[in-house]
Amino acid sequence: MNERHTILIANRGEIAIRIMEACRKLGHAFVAVYTEADRQSEHCVLAQQWGGALFRISSYLDANELFAVADASGATAVHPGYGFFAEDFRFARRAVQRTRKLQFIGPSWQVIRELGDKINTKRLARKLGVPTVPGSDRPITDDLEAEAMAESLFAFQEEVGVKRPVVLVKASAGGGGMGIEEVDDLGKFRAVLRRIKNYARRQFRDDGVLIEQRIFDFNHLEVQILADRTGKDPVHFGTRNCTVQSTGRQKRIEVAPGFAPTTLRYAFDARKVLDDITDYSLRIAREVRYDSVGTWEWIVSPTGQPFLMEVNTRIQVENGVSARIARIRGQGGVDLIAEQIRTGLGAPLGYTQKDIAFEGVAIEYRIIAEDPDNRFAPWVGRITRFAWQPQPWLSVHTHVPQDRPYEIPTDFDPNLALAIVWGKDLSEAKARGLEFLSQLELEGVSATGDPLRSNIAFLQRHTSDLLVF
Amino acid sequence: MDRDRRIQELSIRLRYLQDIFLGEHNPDVELLTTRFEELCARVSDLSADEAARQIKTLEELFGFLERKLERQLSPMHKVRIVRHPQRICLKDILENVYDNYTEIGGQDEYSIDPSMLIARAYITRKRGKKTYHQPVMVIGQEKGHGQEFRNGGSVKPWGNAKALHYMKVAETEGIPIHTYIFTPGSYPIEDYPGAAQQIARNLYEMAGLKVPIVAVISEGGSGGAEAIGLADTRIMMSHGYYSVISPEGAAAIEGRLKEGERATPELIARCAEALKITADDNRAMGYVDWVIHEPELGARPEHYAFFRKLRKAVIASTDEIVLEVSNLRLFRSWALKRHRGSDVLDVYVRWSLDAAAQQRLLWRRYKKYRRMAQQAYLEERYFFKKAVTQVADALAGVYSYLRYELLGRHQKKVTELAEDVHAEMQVVMSRPARWWKRLKETLGLKPEAAAGLVALSAWDEGRGQDGWRYVSPQAKHDRAIPCPRARTNGCLDQWAPDLFGDFAGVCRFCGHHFPMEYQWYLHNVFDPGSITEFFADVESTNPLKFPGFDERLAEAKKKTGHKSACMTFEARIEGIPLMVAMLMAAFRGGSVGAAEGEKFIRAIERARRKQLPFLAYVHGTAGIRIQEGVNGVIQMPRCTLAVRRYIEAGGLYLVLYDTNSYAGPVASFLGCSPYQFAVRSANIGFAGRSVIKETTGMDIPPDYHNAYQALARGHIQGIWDRREIRANLLQSLKTMGGPKLASR
Repeated sequence: MNERHTILIANRGEIAIRIMEACRKLGHAFVAVYTEADRQSEHCVLAQQWGGALFRISSYLDANELFAVADASGATAVHPGYGFFAEDFRFARRAVQRTRKLQFIGPSWQVIRELGDKINTKRLARKLGVPTVPGSDRPITDDLEAEAMAESLFAFQEEVGVKRPVVLVKASAGGGGMGIEEVDDLGKFRAVLRRIKNYARRQFRDDGVLIEQRIFDFNHLEVQILADRTGKDPVHFGTRNCTVQSTGRQKRIEVAPGFAPTTLRYAFDARKVLDDITDYSLRIAREVRYDSVGTWEWIVSPTGQPFLMEVNTRIQVENGVSARIARIRGQGGVDLIAEQIRTGLGAPLGYTQKDIAFEGVAIEYRIIAEDPDNRFAPWVGRITRFAWQPQPWLSVHTHVPQDRPYEIPTDFDPNLALAIVWGKDLSEAKARGLEFLSQLELEGVSATGDPLRSNIAFLQRHTSDLLVF
Repeated sequence: MDRDRRIQELSIRLRYLQDIFLGEHNPDVELLTTRFEELCARVSDLSADEAARQIKTLEELFGFLERKLERQLSPMHKVRIVRHPQRICLKDILENVYDNYTEIGGQDEYSIDPSMLIARAYITRKRGKKTYHQPVMVIGQEKGHGQEFRNGGSVKPWGNAKALHYMKVAETEGIPIHTYIFTPGSYPIEDYPGAAQQIARNLYEMAGLKVPIVAVISEGGSGGAEAIGLADTRIMMSHGYYSVISPEGAAAIEGRLKEGERATPELIARCAEALKITADDNRAMGYVDWVIHEPELGARPEHYAFFRKLRKAVIASTDEIVLEVSNLRLFRSWALKRHRGSDVLDVYVRWSLDAAAQQRLLWRRYKKYRRMAQQAYLEERYFFKKAVTQVADALAGVYSYLRYELLGRHQKKVTELAEDVHAEMQVVMSRPARWWKRLKETLGLKPEAAAGLVALSAWDEGRGQDGWRYVSPQAKHDRAIPCPRARTNGCLDQWAPDLFGDFAGVCRFCGHHFPMEYQWYLHNVFDPGSITEFFADVESTNPLKFPGFDERLAEAKKKTGHKSACMTFEARIEGIPLMVAMLMAAFRGGSVGAAEGEKFIRAIERARRKQLPFLAYVHGTAGIRIQEGVNGVIQMPRCTLAVRRYIEAGGLYLVLYDTNSYAGPVASFLGCSPYQFAVRSANIGFAGRSVIKETTGMDIPPDYHNAYQALARGHIQGIWDRREIRANLLQSLKTMGGPKLASR
């Protein structure tokens, strides 16, 4: 199992750098790719500096080109990072089924396919007794059935004491917020249903709808899972709270662990909720024989009821924040990406849940050039200065070079850096976070001469009430 | 002066001969040429008597050699004869065969289509002192002795529409229709009403016209001929031809010519020979009822005797049709017998029909075409098997009558009564039911509201997005397939297993449909295991003994494992049974010959008997199989008649075009369906690019025939995605199912 692999990194920016670092740590060669827009990115510089092959491609989304690079560079495995092909079961399947096979560092394609389908995941959860959002677990095409479902959802919410019951009608073939409408009155349901069905028929040629309870004021929690290729004995790396988000539901601050029951007061048994969602997540992972890193996303209602939302079958941006508080057999410096690569290439996990312990609180800030006051509109321009004070409790992942100006490419999301701050408890982590943010130097100018806009003030503002629910 | 006129006439006869025997060394024609030139050279020196004598000698020689040449005529010569500007045309016929006429379809070039001529004419008959005027609707292509605006008798779609309009007028007026076919083929343009679609409409309407129709064929070029050719009696002129395709067209296909290349005259002549296009061939095969003999080397306007013969022929044919279906059976047979022996013009037969006779006329027409082409396909006809089939058919007929005609009416009443009784019961029982519910609630047996909201519901997950039951062998290759529309739509190449396995051969980016084998549809459109094939024993053959075709046919049979290009089966969609006839592109391009037509008719007859919806699924058809000649063309009226009979019985006839669907089948039994849909990959048209270039000189744009154009022109009713054929078919069955052939 100690053979040397050449890993094609089918991604860019910060995650590409972290994968390279992991490869170096594990002693594997790597191949990096970049597009024209990314020529200035630090991941290209580092790839060459660290002796990896570097190929220019026309798009990160063209599988054919990536496989051609893999063949040309003699790659034996491919790491998709996050985004792009990370959750594309077809890419994973093609990698392992093509004539010149590549190991896909991520879950097997069957698992990606099974958990990639939200309806399927919901049904799987229900089969295993894992709580899901009340409502339908399959596309409903019959109007009478839909109406009966909506009726019982309103009745149910009134019964459990929801003040303003709301039902969501979603196009089952939709996604990304398209074809969703709220209904707060059963009388309006018929009209909304017809509208969504018409939309779905036009847009997706499939008029099935999902009808669910709309849950308000929830906290967004995640459970980090890791398993080796055997799929037996998956372990978890704790929970994260990702409730601080932009208006477009993009995460901005992640905190591990998910709640702080020792420091803060909650209206429910927070420790039990964390334990429950971890158990539920592992239950599903065992059932599907999950065989890589993955994240189980949960929403927790103000009364402390968790509902499984979806499973992300990939390494996530915020994996570092869980790794930061984890210790394996007492050792810190956990690297989940390295673990993903190690186990993905066939190595056994080598430890069990008992060997994993957690210490302190970690906060991850996503530093982004954007305008939080203007619906988080991305800012585009040149970064002229980007510097921070190194600290033992701080790690920063970025593809933005610190030694030269950097033009932000417009083709990708405008993430600039991830800063992970650690403290022995919540208050220390918060204080250090504020300290880091206030010392961070980030300057730039746009093509029209406007100064850089960033979300630093937004991050500072939200630090004070982290984990409060 | 008489001398000059006679020499002039001889020169015309000579030029005609030279035209007919063009490009070959015929000693007789050469002899006549030499003798004629000699005569011309010295005639001015001769005395009047001597000149007259020598001219007479030469005239006799002309007469003698023309009779000799007549015996040498090959099919290709006949093709030249009917195309010659001196050939009689419809105007000549109107002048000489009918006693009076008025043109109603336009005048000369002032007509929506000058190549289609329509006239109200009448025939005068005297019986004793009484005179009868019998009106007739005369319809036919007009070549006008080479008048340019007549377009050589190649009729545009609106010309055929005009013809149809006046056929309907004739039906309303109750007068017979005489059609005269002088066309090399229809003008292949797609503009509304569409070359193919209009011919299909004509055929469909003619199948139900309640007046006698007599057709006279001089030049019967394929679809153009069929547009006015579905007649009760078909007479053919002895020097005419009736063919699936022009010999040049056949040669272009046989010789596999590229664009711009021309077939050699030898190949064209060979094709003309092989296609069996002459009057005698067609009479022998049974596609025309009788042949009317022309003067030597073809009828020309001065052959008045021929017009008299033709007049007798059309009158006698009309009389016969009327007498055969007239009411008094006893009298009818007697009259018919008597009629044959007497001079047709001295007898008076009334040409109008009463309702019962009209029905008999239609049945006679159906049976006439149904019996055709039976020799042109193979079927293992073991006596026992045949007997069993016949008995089964008869029983099914009886059952169908009892079940749907007799019982069907009473069943409705019974159902309604049962519904009423049930409703009454509900009213009576509502009070105790409410009481029982309240009792349960007070006892704490209240149903848990949340149970249905968070528990796993039952769901038949038979078909996921990747759940295709049949995966194309194209999905087995490890390669990336470029989309042909990548240049304009920016589609990325797709891995074959994804493209053909998961996406069913549909480009994920632009929706382009890659070709897919027919098996995919069999397994993914219909319920699993629901397909029962019928009439698989009907086998394509080579009825014309077309050279080299036996081998190609054998190859196609071996390659596909089918005996013809048409597969007929019963299947179910979500439990709804339906009858399907599928034309498979893999078998000789899905071309339709006698076997395919026969299977189609049997399938639709079965659907009628069993009261099933009928789907014609065109996986692809290149047209009528040219190697079968008229055996193929005749499937156009045959199948259309069957379609009409089925639809009139209340049947739901759906057509679905998948890939290339062209020519004859579209111009008849497919194009006449009221519900025609296309898969996005379909191209629908009358003639292909090279034929259009050849006949019209037009260069058509690349997307000229694609499904969206067809939809925009109104030829089809909708376009479906391949992955949604099943759902759309189900939807069609539910929404279009007729009252009698309800889909349930």
